[in-house]
Amino acid sequence: MLEIFQYDFMIRALAAGMIIAFVIPALGNFLVARRYSLIADSLAHVSLAGVGAGLLFGVAPILVAVPTTICGAILLEWLRQNRKLSGEISLAILMSGGLALAVVLANLSQGSNTDFTAYLFGSITTTTRGDLVTLAIASVFSLTIIGWNYRSFLHIAFDEDSARIAGHKVRLLNYTLAALTALMVVLSLRIVGGLLISALLVIPVITASNFTRSFLQTVFGSILIACIAVIGGLLLAFYAGIAAGGAIVLAAITLLIASMIWKATA
Amino acid sequence: MKTSKTSEPHSSADSPMLIDIDNVSVKFGSDIILKDISLCVHSGEFIGLIGPNGAGKTTLLRTLLGLTKPTSGSIDTDETVIAYVPQRGNIYSSQIPISVLEVVSLGSQGNKNTALQALQKVGLADIANRAFTELSGGQQQRVTIAKALAGNPQIIILDEPTTGIDEAAQQAFYDVLKELDARGITIIIVSHDIDVVLNLVTRVVCLNQTIVYDGKPEDFKIDAYMPSIYNAQHRLLHHHHGEK
Repeated sequence: MLEIFQYDFMIRALAAGMIIAFVIPALGNFLVARRYSLIADSLAHVSLAGVGAGLLFGVAPILVAVPTTICGAILLEWLRQNRKLSGEISLAILMSGGLALAVVLANLSQGSNTDFTAYLFGSITTTTRGDLVTLAIASVFSLTIIGWNYRSFLHIAFDEDSARIAGHKVRLLNYTLAALTALMVVLSLRIVGGLLISALLVIPVITASNFTRSFLQTVFGSILIACIAVIGGLLLAFYAGIAAGGAIVLAAITLLIASMIWKATA
Repeated sequence: MKTSKTSEPHSSADSPMLIDIDNVSVKFGSDIILKDISLCVHSGEFIGLIGPNGAGKTTLLRTLLGLTKPTSGSIDTDETVIAYVPQRGNIYSSQIPISVLEVVSLGSQGNKNTALQALQKVGLADIANRAFTELSGGQQQRVTIAKALAGNPQIIILDEPTTGIDEAAQQAFYDVLKELDARGITIIIVSHDIDVVLNLVTRVVCLNQTIVYDGKPEDFKIDAYMPSIYNAQHRLLHHHHGEK
């Protein structure tokens, strides 16, 4: 047996990473298709503000971050749907505003910088059994909703007007997708880190799209690539003694570059 | 000039009415986009909706489709199944590939057999598994027609469907529309290419905020109905076509 499997914390890290590798790219396909890739980054920054508030008031950071981030996601979607601000401007404002608030709140909380850094860059090896159970429940919930409404989400991602004409509940489903993204981003914070989570949402999807010809193939391909990146990243982190979140993202980028080279030479 | 409520002046007027637009106006802020539009669409009609840029053609389509709310007036579609073919280039061209079969299946509520039958009708069943973005412009537009057909619609509405498509592909596309017309499907096409529309459709509706002409294409006289707006454009079109 590999040495890595002799440690409970690494087994938990691997399990958490694999769960995230299933759900985050699955959501990412719909978001990238509608050119909304940066939403995870913006929501991650908002969730850091929630973490900062939790640390300041002595409440479990995730308990504050979940409602804060879901509210942020709904606000983003409302701004987009009502054309108050263009999509990219809304994302940019929420991203910088969220991080600014997070830094201020984290400073005010005094002495908790180590905790806050764990949410910024991830600390997958500190994943607890409770974290795993919460993550698993939220993931099953998210995947069930995506699977149940797969065709509607697909139609909206590629042609929102036609989806509306066809009778899909576009507004409700858009809010649902944003809220699910917020939920999964928050629960992935401690594992990959707020500054790195969008990489897992976007990079495996783009990597898979270099090999595929259909959306469904890309969904499964992106999950497979994210799983490879998580396993590769964790092995690298364990044996090279480097930060796991960063190693996972670097593994994903390596796969992306390899796929681009393959596509260019095929 | 007809600005009152109009319906197709010849044979189709006896067919069932599918859409009844009654005195519809649309304003965006203080800008009047459509003013007092009244129009009936009957089963089996092939209507060309023309007008200069900014005439309100796309707004009328969006209002018909329920995507834009009229400021006043009403539209009765009487549960008519309407399919929409948007302008090319806006859809299905994401970084993420979507296959031809997946696009058409969106119109058939996921039923693959219906989707394949629809692809057969436009002569593209053999490319069902290719990525949409790998196709030529003409093929892409036929795929969107197949998607529309897969929903078994009573009316197909097309917004500038041949923009950016070469002439040969345009002809193939218009042949598909003629075939659908022959099968009795009601078609409304918005196009800036007046010559093509006049040769293709059975009824012309010319719009410039309000309806300035509604009747047979052979009776439509550009100089009479749209002297200041269309003359230059039409001369250019004739000149352009004459060169080929």
